[in-house]
Amino acid sequence: MTLLLGSWTIGLILALLALGVFISFRIFSFADLTADGSLTLGAAVAAALIARGYNPWLATSLAVVAGSLAGGLSGLLQTRFQINGLLSGILVATALYSVNLHVMGRSNVPLLDARTVNSDLQGVVQKVSGKVESVQLLGSSVRVSDLVNLGAILLLVCLTAWLLHLFFKTSLGTAMRATGDNPRMIRALGVDVGRMITLGLMMSNGLVALSGAMLAQYQGFADVQMGIGMVVLGLASVILGQALVGRGGIGLSICGAIMGSLLFRLMIALALRAGLDPNDLKLITAVFVLLALVLPRAFQLRVKPAPAGRL
Amino acid sequence: MATLEVRGLYKTFFPGTPDEVRALRGLDFSIEPGSFVVVIGTNGSGKSTTLNAVAGTFLADAGSITLAGHNITRWPEHRRARFIGRVFQDPLAGTSPTLSIAENFALASQRGQPRRLGLAVTRRRIAEFREHVRPLGMRLEDRLDNPIGSLSGGQRQALTLLMATFRKPELLLLDEHTAALDPRSAEQVIRLTDEIVRSQQLTTMMVTHSMAHAASLGDRLVMVHQGRLILDVTGAEKRRLRPHDLLEKFEELRRSDQLDETAAQLIRASYV
Ligand SMILES: Nc1ncnc2c1ncn2[C@@H]1O[C@H](COP(=O)(O)OP(=O)(O)OP(=O)(O)O)[C@@H](O)[C@H]1O
Ligand SMILES: [Mg+2]
Repeated sequence: MTLLLGSWTIGLILALLALGVFISFRIFSFADLTADGSLTLGAAVAAALIARGYNPWLATSLAVVAGSLAGGLSGLLQTRFQINGLLSGILVATALYSVNLHVMGRSNVPLLDARTVNSDLQGVVQKVSGKVESVQLLGSSVRVSDLVNLGAILLLVCLTAWLLHLFFKTSLGTAMRATGDNPRMIRALGVDVGRMITLGLMMSNGLVALSGAMLAQYQGFADVQMGIGMVVLGLASVILGQALVGRGGIGLSICGAIMGSLLFRLMIALALRAGLDPNDLKLITAVFVLLALVLPRAFQLRVKPAPAGRL
Repeated sequence: MATLEVRGLYKTFFPGTPDEVRALRGLDFSIEPGSFVVVIGTNGSGKSTTLNAVAGTFLADAGSITLAGHNITRWPEHRRARFIGRVFQDPLAGTSPTLSIAENFALASQRGQPRRLGLAVTRRRIAEFREHVRPLGMRLEDRLDNPIGSLSGGQRQALTLLMATFRKPELLLLDEHTAALDPRSAEQVIRLTDEIVRSQQLTTMMVTHSMAHAASLGDRLVMVHQGRLILDVTGAEKRRLRPHDLLEKFEELRRSDQLDETAAQLIRASYV
């Protein structure tokens, strides 16, 4: 039970990452590699501030701001200086590695007894419920603190998904979706495509940084290596999610990304329990994404469009 | 004052390379408000390049463009969209396939306006969009929630035209917008074009390869050749113009050495 709660909590934290990757990959149809750096940036900013005694809520907010700045930089490189999207992501992520080391001051910042968003919430729940340490759930004993962590991140993910869904229904959000869909058309309708992509990447990396900040507070440390492979992990969740819900509306796709993240985490937890070597995790994730990208294409019949007639 | 004024426009693609193309070579014309100009010319003569230069797909090398009293020569494309409605040749180019019909209309209804955080599609606007597409007689008013990618090319092109004119544009640019459609849809879209342009009195430039359309539509006909206008027929003369008159015009141009023989042949081939 505890294992299940733990993998769900991490799955939900990484659902924020998946939502970020969703914006770059599903809306703009490219893999934004900035996310590898901005996840760590979020964790580093939050951890460094919390370790210095700052309010954890403020620290988490600033982590989001830092992440969106990184995304904005990546967007500017791509749209103002016409650098290929993959390359601008790699450039920013590489630069962020050093930035993150500076922010943290060393390669690992522990947050063992620090006041975090999670400890704040646990305090509130304990005040309400008295000093209950654990409860019975489905026949096994579960720590209240684990439940609080899960509930809190569940709430945060739902709120984020709802806001994201609302955003994509606004005039601005609809224009952003059309930017990925048909840039030529949206430009002819008066939208600055470069600005739209930059704004989208800011939102995307803000979410990824939020994911990093929550991850650091949940696991009790930030590490300069923690972002490695995160883009691929986000892609795996988004792709898995799409397989779950199909090509529906934007709301369904957002739910899909979250479900994908949960399912992927669960699969990993089970595989690890069955004896999978943790060192192989990233290899397996990468192979999974590769297969998900290649298999549908391999089975697709290529139909040539009829030649356009001329009057 | 003219709606559109193009003065001494030059554009060379890939300058200084073996692929150099001098697409516009001193293009000069102006269009009066409410005028419907049909643009003809051979393949590669510079018709699309002319429309693209006005729309801002690229910036011209030299010359000036004034639209609705604004010097837009250095404006980026998205800024010019405030004044310009466009329909492309490719029926897929003018709409956003995964978005619904209503969402596409919502985007078009804000052409050139800042995009804010208000809901894009409200119930009131749906009613408005419904009334807008009903006259098409394509039963699309019941399918506003469907992704536009699920429609046929003819339906998408008709919608693109409605979208481009939803907010009245100062200038409507149509680049062979029926060339990729089957003959029936093409006729339908052409009729719709004529209706909309007349009823809204839109200033319009329409490129076509159809001799019949060139003769029957619009109140002015211009011909682009090697990046310049070489023929300009307006007023009563345009109204009287029949397809075979056009052929005579081509012949005249050839005799006066403005067209060489191969170009004249190309024109005959593509317009008869
Ligand atoms: N974006 C571009 N880059 C390079 N060359 C271009 C570009 N656009 C047009 N050209 C070239 O400029 C010349 C004029 O092309 P344009 O598309 O204006 O012709 P057109 O009159 O529209 O012909 P068609 O009837 O075939 O549509 C052609 O030689 C074309 O290859
Ligand atoms: Mg053309």
